[in-house]
Parts: sequence; C-alpha cells; structure tokens
Amino acid sequence: TYGSTGIRDVHLELKDLTLFGQRGNLHFISFPTQDLSTFIQMGRDKNFSTLQTVLCATGGGAYKSEKDFRTIGNLHSDELDCLTKRLLCIESVSFNGQRPQKMPSNLDDPYPLLVVNIGSGVSILAVHSKDNYKRVTGTSLGEGTFLGLCSLLYGCESFEEALEMASKDDNTQADKLSHDIYGGDHERFGLPGWTVTSSFRNMFYKEKRESVSKEDLARATLVTITNSFGSVARMCAVNEETNRVVFVGNVLHVNTLSMKLLAYALGFWSKGQLKALFLEREGYFGAVSALLGLTNFS
Amino acid sequence: MRRHGPFHPRVHWAAPPSLSFGLHRLLLLRGTRIPLLHHLSLDGGMVNPPGVSESIGREAFGPPPASSDWLPARWRNGRSGWPRARLCPGWTAAEEGRSSTLGGLLGRQRWLLRMGAGWLGAPMERHGRASATSVSSGGEQAAGGPEGRRQEPLRRRASSASVPAVGASAEGARRDRLGSYSGPTSVSRQRVESLRKKRPLFPWFGLDIGGTLVKLVYFEPKDITAEEEEEEVESLKSIRKYLTSNVAYGSTGIRDVHLELKDLTLCGRKGNLHFIRFPTHDMPAFIQMGRDKNFSSLHTVFCATGGGAYKFEQDFLTIGDLQLCKLDELDCLIKGILYIDSVGFNGRSQCYYFENPADSEKCQKLPFDLKNPYPLLLVNIGSGVSILAVYSKDNYKRVTGTSLGGGTFFGLCCLLTGCTTFEEALEMASRGDSTKVDKLVRDIYGGDYERFGLPGWAVASSFGNMMSKEKREAVSKEDLARATLITITNNIGSIARMCALNENINQVVFVGNFLRINTIAMRLLAYALDYWSKGQLKALFSEHEGYFGAVGALLELLKIP
Repeated sequence: TYGSTGIRDVHLELKDLTLFGQRGNLHFISFPTQDLSTFIQMGRDKNFSTLQTVLCATGGGAYKSEKDFRTIGNLHSDELDCLTKRLLCIESVSFNGQRPQKMPSNLDDPYPLLVVNIGSGVSILAVHSKDNYKRVTGTSLGEGTFLGLCSLLYGCESFEEALEMASKDDNTQADKLSHDIYGGDHERFGLPGWTVTSSFRNMFYKEKRESVSKEDLARATLVTITNSFGSVARMCAVNEETNRVVFVGNVLHVNTLSMKLLAYALGFWSKGQLKALFLEREGYFGAVSALLGLTNFS
Repeated sequence: MRRHGPFHPRVHWAAPPSLSFGLHRLLLLRGTRIPLLHHLSLDGGMVNPPGVSESIGREAFGPPPASSDWLPARWRNGRSGWPRARLCPGWTAAEEGRSSTLGGLLGRQRWLLRMGAGWLGAPMERHGRASATSVSSGGEQAAGGPEGRRQEPLRRRASSASVPAVGASAEGARRDRLGSYSGPTSVSRQRVESLRKKRPLFPWFGLDIGGTLVKLVYFEPKDITAEEEEEEVESLKSIRKYLTSNVAYGSTGIRDVHLELKDLTLCGRKGNLHFIRFPTHDMPAFIQMGRDKNFSSLHTVFCATGGGAYKFEQDFLTIGDLQLCKLDELDCLIKGILYIDSVGFNGRSQCYYFENPADSEKCQKLPFDLKNPYPLLLVNIGSGVSILAVYSKDNYKRVTGTSLGGGTFFGLCCLLTGCTTFEEALEMASRGDSTKVDKLVRDIYGGDYERFGLPGWAVASSFGNMMSKEKREAVSKEDLARATLITITNNIGSIARMCALNENINQVVFVGNFLRINTIAMRLLAYALDYWSKGQLKALFSEHEGYFGAVGALLELLKIP
C-alpha cells in the first residue's frame, strides 16, 4: 500500500516480461483520482522532473490535470485508443451462467469485438481490427452511479464496502418484478416472472421502505446498474453484429456478482448468441497501453 | 421466500387457468370441449347441435319469453353453484348464431355498416385478423356448432380479439335450453335494443391496471332517450352520476377533465369519454366498491389490460363477483393510440412536439400531424419501459425494454428525498440542479472530450459526485430529485435512440404516465434525441399519454376493429 489509499495488486503482477528489450516485472497500482494532487505533490517532492522521464498518461484526468502534470512532464494518449490498442489478454475469463465458473477463453481471433469499458461512466466500443474501432455509444450509469447511489442511500464509504453489502442480499425487496405486476410471467413477450420491470419501484410504498435493509438497497443498485449497461451492450452487439462482448473496468474488479449477472443476462436475453468475456487485469488496460506508448518517445 | 433472480429462475407458468380445476373436470364429464378462454360459458348444459335455433327476429318482436332467452342465463347469480361466466365481446355474435344463417348475415351487415370505415377514417383491422373473417365465420359456423369452435392453444393469454363468433354462437344456442333461472324474468327494452344493435350493455369501461396506476376510461352516453332513462337500472344510473359529477373519487381517484373527449360516437351511441385514474395500491378498495354498488348485477363486461388484470383477476372474482376479460397490454396500447389519434382531441391534434426544447423562453409546444405513422417507435414509459416498433396496424414487435422507468424515478426519489407523491417529486426536481450530483464530462476531462464528440456538459457518470463526502453534504433534496429525473430520462432517451437506429425508424412517440405534467422530462427527451441523432430523430408526445391501454381495452369491449 501507498499512503492510505494506494494499492498494489500483487496478484496481477506480470513477471519476467520483456519490454523494450529490458526484462522485468510489471506492477499494477491504483489509487483514487481524488488523491491525484497528492501524487503530483509527491512527484514534485521526489524530484521526478530531474529524471527527465516521459510520463504517458491517459484517461480524462490526463487532460484535466495536464497543467499540474507539466511540472513533472507528461504526454497524452487518448484514453480509448489506449484501451483498444493492446488488449493484452493475458487470461480472459468467461462465466458460464448457471454454474458460474471461470473458464479461460482464447482471444486468438478477437475481431470483431465489442468492448464495454465501465468506469465512472460507460463507453462502448466496436473494435473491428487493431486500428479500426469506433465509440458506438455510452451510458452515464456506471460505477460512479453505483457508488454514488450507495453512498447516498446508506452512507457507504468505499467500493469494497458497497460490494460486500450487495453480495449479501436480495434485490427483489426493492425492485418490482414482472411477477409483482403480472402475478407470473408475461408470456406474450417472453418475459419471465423474475424479470425486473421497474427498479426501485417498491420503494414508493412506505411499508416496504421501512422493511428494506441496506444490503437490499446495495444489491438493488448493483443489479440495476449492471442490468442497464448489460442491456445496452446487448443492443449494441446486435447492432454491430458481434457475438463477443468484453467487459472491462474496475467495477468488475472483485465483483463476481456483476460478472455472473452479466454473463447470465447476456446469454439469456440473446438466447445464447452472445458471450460475455472478462479480463483478469480489468482496469489497467489504459495504463498498460499508455506505457507501451512510450515507444514513440524513446 | 423469494430468492428469485437470474440464478434461480422460477418455474414458468403455463397459461393461468381461467377456470377452477373443478370446473374443468365437470365440463369434461359433460362432454363439452373446453377452450380455456374467457368467453367460455359455464352454464353447463349440453352443447346444442346445430339446427336447434331460435326463430329469426326474436329480438325484433319485443322481449322474448325468459325461459329461452340467454339474458337471464347471464343474470343467474353464480351462487347457485355454477360460477357465472362473462362472455367477452364475442357474445354479440351470439345473436347471429341463434338466428338462421341468413338473418344472421343481414344483422351482421347492418352492424358492419355502422362500424364501417365511414366514421373511423381509414378502416382499422382487428389486430391480427381481418374482421371479415370472423364475420363470415360467425355466420357460417353457427351451423357448424361446437365443432366450429376454434381451439386456442393453452398458453395464450392474449386478447379475445381472436375469439371467434363461432364459440359464442354455440354457447348462445346452448343457453336456450336452460331451464329455471333465479334472475329477473322481464327484459328491458333498452337491453333488447342494445342486443339488437349488437352492443354490449352499459356501462362501458376500459381498464388498464398498471404497476402504479389504474387507468379507467368510461363512456358516458349523451343520447339517452327518456324511455331508456326510465328503464335504466338504478345502479347504472348511480354509477353514471357518480363518475360524471365528480372529479375526485375517494382520496386518490382523479378524473382528468381536461382530457375528456366530447361528442364521440362509439358503437352507434354518442357520448363523452372520461379519463379516470387512481393508484393500483387502492385496487382492493375499488373492487370493494364494485361489490358494494352491486356491479355484478349489471352483468357488464369488464375488459381489463395491464399486468394487474392478471394479478387481480382472482380478487375481482372472489370479492367483486366480476370476471375480467383480460387483454394484452401492448395490443391495447397500439389499438388505443391509433384510435385516439384518428378521432383527434376535440378538434385539436393529439400528437405534439417541442420546438427549441432547451430554451426555456423559446420552447414551444406545437401540434404534429401523424399522417404517416408507420414505421413508428413507441416508447411506453410506465413503472417500467417497453419499446415497440410499429410497422403497421397489425404488425408490431416489442424491441426491448428497460427496468429504469417511472417507477425507478419515483422509488429513488422517495428513498433519497422522502417525498410521497409523484407531483411532489417533480416539483422538487424543477427546483434542483443536477450538475451538483452528476459527474459531467468536463469534471473528468476539464472540458470537452473532442475526439469522440462528447461535450463537456454531457453527463459522464450519473450520481458520480456523490462518492465524495463534501459534495454529498452540499447537495439539497431538490438537486437529488432533479438528478434522478435526468438520469432516468437520459437513459430512456439513449435506449430509444439506439432502437430507432437499429430499426431504421425516425419517429419516436413517447407515451406513459411518467410524462404526465413532466415537462422537464419531455423537453429533455426532445432535446437529447435531436442532439445525439444530429436532427435525424423526432421526439413526439401525446395528450392522453397514459390512457391508451385503457382505451384499447374499451375498444376491445365494443369490438371495434
């Protein structure tokens, strides 16, 4: 750990890598964007600039904090470029809905691919080849929403805490299911009774509001958000005619619940046509590619 | 214990039995065929072979003797041990069936002429089937008797639009054989007249029982003759007076007077169409009221759609002694919209759009003539959202939906702000500033994300700022309400846009009670759709937003194609 919030994901470390002719290990470290100013300050204190190194940065914050970074020296790379340029599929993982188990899957012939990048917000990219991709659409309901809503609804302090609560309980308390409206399935359109028809709808009723627990709310929020971008991803996949959807982003970091839900939902609603894929080093692709972008400047 | 969810899917139902199990067996024993449809007559008795039919023109000569009239059969109260049947509108052809084929056909022609293209503009075919088919089948199959009765597959719960006159005719024939009745023995001339003109009995209701609101449309006849009035049953009169002289019912029922359609002609009667709503939560009270006011004695048909029609069916039966004719909600929605659009809104246009939606001062609501409605993307925003692509009167499909709908807005608002009504939530939202709550692109990028054309004011992450404690403390309830509204609206708009793109449709109509008095959402949808599609898509709205399902149910009752 670094300071109070920086974390090095030791389990993701890539050993004995050859990069730019040098052998070494690749480490993956993350800390909240809020602490960026502290990071920059540390850079200043430790006299980064004297090292005359080039710092490749990507992500929205690269643009925003550009001025601050100038003191250390930086270069931009576009966020989404970085993401797609090198999809280092060290080990891609897919979940087989009903019996969720991690199955390694090969991305040998990756294209065309739909990449769903889940950060604070969500961007969906259709990748047709290494250099040919486009941003199809996005949604503002992403990890940020999940965390923001959780904090508002019951004051959770961190992502891990929110996830932990979510994994415990039942979203059917907060949501209105098809079952609640129809008393069963809505067969005509193939909507089974356990489908959520209206998220959080039950929260209108006072009695239900009082009986719902924090865990239920956390779960409902997670399910709502996951279903939302899962559904959008499915529509995009259909539109772009791809049948593989890769979900990346830190919200999936230790979030097996979301992963299972996505894998199941995508399979169910597409009748098995679509496959949801996940990657081990979810949130780091932008950073890795920024690093690789260094080749342009050496 | 409801551990439902994607990992423990419930056992899927087959079609819910509309008859009790015992009844099924009884009918089996009696050797009748059992279509599990709502029009089934449960009066028992053997099916009449063809040939035993009443003489033609019975109705034309005044009230027939009770013993062989099917009316008293319908009035028998179910407490004699036989649950009472409610025929769905298919009964109108019962008259056909009983008469000889020729008389039947003539009668049918008269009815057709009345219902024909003349007053409806472009003739609207019954969903899924040409009216002509069932007409002729009504005439011919009367001779065919029960064999002609079409068997619907067990699983279909869909509307009885397809219920052929056939089945009804056979039942009509059967009824005549019944012996003693406990019902009234004289038939009012009004009812006979109604029967002669193949109209269902008053009152005429269409019901749409949604997840949050129940929508009721009521047709108030204005052309009641003195004679008719004299004969009118007391309870019918009191219902009419109660509904039309009040604008509020109990503490939660409301009649939207400004939506009333005046001087409408339906099924040959002139009158006004009233639009009433109340929370689904109060459904038990409604059923109780129906019981207290003896609705069941009116023997009227209650056509209901929406999920609640299925959910509350049992309650209607056991408490109110009323059988619902259940109809599919999306079928009714389409029907309702097409009908209301064709009759217009008291001379004005039903459909409208917003010019300059983003500018509060210049924003204008302008009428839109939906003369080329197809193809159309219909976005129904109720508790949840369904998106339909409509290609023609009879050809539509449900493209997708989302669970983040009006119910989510309301539920989240209740949780976050403690509001108690929809109006209150909207009012708070109108005063708030969502940019304090949401993380915008410029909050992340410090400006626009030019590479992909994302302007700085676009929301990158809804509620994204709420992770930070200081920001949480700085926002007000109004800001939260607004952010919730914006989030839900943007999400719906975005999905609608994607669907429009996928389906190659550029007219998007938003309906549903989420948009009621919700100008913020409407303008946002109009703006967002226009902006993100670069002017390709047009967002349209409708005056009678949430009532189309109920109107469709009413039309089904009157068997208007």
